[in-house]
Amino acid sequence: MLKQPFLRQPVVRTVAAISLGAIAGALGRYYFGLAMNHLLGIDVPYSTLVINVTGCLAMGFLATLSLGQVISLHPDIRLLLLTGFLGSYTTFSGYELDSAHLLQQDRLQADLFYWAGSVMLGFMSLQFGIAFAEWLLGKLDPSRETPHNRDRSN
Amino acid sequence: METPLLLTLWIALGAIPGALSRYYLTLVCVEKLGGEFPFGTFIINLSGTFLIGFFATLFQSIQADPLLNSFVIIGFLGSYTTFSTYALDTSNLLKLASYKRAVLYGLGSPLMGFLGVELGIALAQRL
Repeated sequence: MLKQPFLRQPVVRTVAAISLGAIAGALGRYYFGLAMNHLLGIDVPYSTLVINVTGCLAMGFLATLSLGQVISLHPDIRLLLLTGFLGSYTTFSGYELDSAHLLQQDRLQADLFYWAGSVMLGFMSLQFGIAFAEWLLGKLDPSRETPHNRDRSN
Repeated sequence: METPLLLTLWIALGAIPGALSRYYLTLVCVEKLGGEFPFGTFIINLSGTFLIGFFATLFQSIQADPLLNSFVIIGFLGSYTTFSTYALDTSNLLKLASYKRAVLYGLGSPLMGFLGVELGIALAQRL
């Protein structure tokens, strides 16, 4: 007999949280990608670019927000959103495969834009997400020492 | 022709082991190699690029079932590798002022990933 009910066991909760997030993330990536390919065409793999950039924005925002004192995410919710959903929504292998396909078609300029642009735009949107979360945390709890608040008090 | 429902199911079935192996492999890497450098995500993304180059090329040449493609490529490998954690790791290394590690990881991942995918493609073409 189990000591704890099945769904209360830490391993079960972890696996369930990541799995649920991963299903939503992968299907979100697939269907959002299809919709964007339909809208923007498949000349440049914009869909993976937009997915990775928006995923980085959400990652910066949620990772920062969940570390604050004001809003605390339950560890299982953190696993569901960050490890499961965002981890599966964004893809590194798809990004490199798209880049290799552009190279195979001898489209060097598009490849360079896509290859380097994904990294730069992803990083920038992550920073934007972090900054937005810090600003929001500062608004919610003015006593919290964010760079934003420190600047004002000086 | 496969139904969209079946395709959806196979992507979901691939995503679960993909994300779980990413999570547990990251934990093992932190335990064995320490948390100074994000070895876990680095190894995951590199192995994932190699595998996607290999399997995407192989599936194309043998004209594999689209369901197999959605399970392995979109579901498993898409979820196994991650772009958002890669960007977050780079940002955290910069925040900790480990600039050497940040450059090594931030530029090393896309560069080595490029080599990984090309290696996978080349290997599959030789089969």
